[in-house]
Amino acid sequence: MSRRHIQNVLLKEWALLFTDLNSVLIVTLLPLLIVGQGILYIWLALRFGGEVMLTTPVFQTALQKLIEAIPGLTQLPSEEQLLVLLLSQFNFFLLLIPTMVAISVATFSIVDEKLSGSLEALLATPVKTWELLLGKALAGAIPALVITWLSAGVFLLVISGLGWGDLSGFVVTAGWFLTLFLLTPAVAILSFMLGVTGSSRAKDARSAQNTAVIIILPVLALIGIQIAGILWFTPSLILVLALVIGIADFISLRVAVRLFQRESIVIQWR
Amino acid sequence: MVIIESFGLYRYFGKTTAVEDLTLAVEAGEVLGFLGPNGAGKTTTIRMLAGMIAPTKGYAIVAGHRTDRDVEQLHEVVGILTETPGFYSRLSAKRNLEYFASFYSSIESPSKQVEKYLKLIGLWERCNDRVGTFSKGMKHRLALVRALVHEPKVLFLDEPTAGLDPEAAAEVREMINRLGKEGHTIFLSTHNLNEAEMLCNRIAVIHTRLLALDTPENLRRRFFRRQLIVQLEVPDTQVVQTVRKLPFVQEVHEEGSQLILELTDSERNRPELVQAIVEAGGRVIAVSEKQYPLEEIYFRLLREESGNES
Repeated sequence: MSRRHIQNVLLKEWALLFTDLNSVLIVTLLPLLIVGQGILYIWLALRFGGEVMLTTPVFQTALQKLIEAIPGLTQLPSEEQLLVLLLSQFNFFLLLIPTMVAISVATFSIVDEKLSGSLEALLATPVKTWELLLGKALAGAIPALVITWLSAGVFLLVISGLGWGDLSGFVVTAGWFLTLFLLTPAVAILSFMLGVTGSSRAKDARSAQNTAVIIILPVLALIGIQIAGILWFTPSLILVLALVIGIADFISLRVAVRLFQRESIVIQWR
Repeated sequence: MVIIESFGLYRYFGKTTAVEDLTLAVEAGEVLGFLGPNGAGKTTTIRMLAGMIAPTKGYAIVAGHRTDRDVEQLHEVVGILTETPGFYSRLSAKRNLEYFASFYSSIESPSKQVEKYLKLIGLWERCNDRVGTFSKGMKHRLALVRALVHEPKVLFLDEPTAGLDPEAAAEVREMINRLGKEGHTIFLSTHNLNEAEMLCNRIAVIHTRLLALDTPENLRRRFFRRQLIVQLEVPDTQVVQTVRKLPFVQEVHEEGSQLILELTDSERNRPELVQAIVEAGGRVIAVSEKQYPLEEIYFRLLREESGNES
């Protein structure tokens, strides 16, 4: 029964998502904006600050860590090494897509139902709390994930178009794939679980969104740690990170179920 | 067969007592009206019986399931019409109902079941329209179908006609009436006393505690003696004097051209009474039993309750 229930919730959420122009625009345009913005920053950094950046200790340390991870990089001129360093941040930068889509979409998912009164009727059916929450989280996480992968494809096309295609061998590494196909799904599910949890506890969509903004902070921290040269995320490290976040996904579902108080929702929202 | 049974149900919200020591039993196939003023505990009782909130003390068994323990099994066999008929306004009526129907294991084909009920309530023609375009009355009918679609053993209706215009309320009432006649067990919470009288076999009056539970007729007998009204063509003092002398007349008083009487046996003494009036020269237009609206019983119960409290 659980699979059928989760599937029901997921399909209904998709039906609602794709009949709302705002949500469709958020899911499609936001990722393109993130990709475009990232590439623009890299281009601007190279165009106006390339030389200066290479003399900055922070970037020198980061570059050193990158060369330790990819020794073949020493054969490239220093400007191209810097470019590889910047482009290599992009896989973590893409993690912003599911987190930001989660803030925009998941935070409304329960609050909207509370406000419309449909949640009380739903809680009168045999649906279990975990089925409802997981269905809602997956309904957001799956499109966000697909759009993130498409964005990664767009990113590769754009860097080829900009004449940086020769460097893609240094950027699209095992770490890139692990980030995209293991870390990103784990982060997407976690973001949506947290978004849905925030939504279930919030009194309105605005307060749910305010709380959910904190989801972005760990992703920004990952980018910061790497670009500041504190730590370079090697494939094995990314694997460990993905596993840790995968475990966090399960824990977050259990926490979400505990925090979702059916009685309070029924009593307070009528 | 008893299908709803509660044993000393209590529910507190902080220091407020919403429901106190509620013990009742409802037979299968019965339509029970649940009356009480705002804040009397009607919705809380329905929510406890439908397994949506747990009682603080006591327990209830509905359709063979403990409402505080077997919640998922209970939800399979009860339907509830909540006060707010919340739907997904961007989805069609059919899609909305199919979504809710698909959670019940008893429904093999949600779309067929939804089609059957949408046709039943006359909304099939608009099944593909967005619910957001529906009137309030249509949404209420749709919500009733949502509560019914899995053919529950017990149907809880929480103020099903509240806030509806007379036409929409009549449509919903007609549907409840039909369901009652089809043998559904219905637990109907309402403010509308006429509605309760029209639709229900028995009436429960609640004001945190259960004040009364009986048929409307028995409730009347409990509070009012049977009185006969004899409508004369014109007021006639000689007729009144004659009637007073009759041995089976316990009490009589005049109200214009009407005589209001209490007889030893209202059924058997009626022919003799009419004969005596006619023989005394009175012209009888009509003889009827005095009707007490449920409202009077209701207010009397509530007055008694507030008298007890003070």
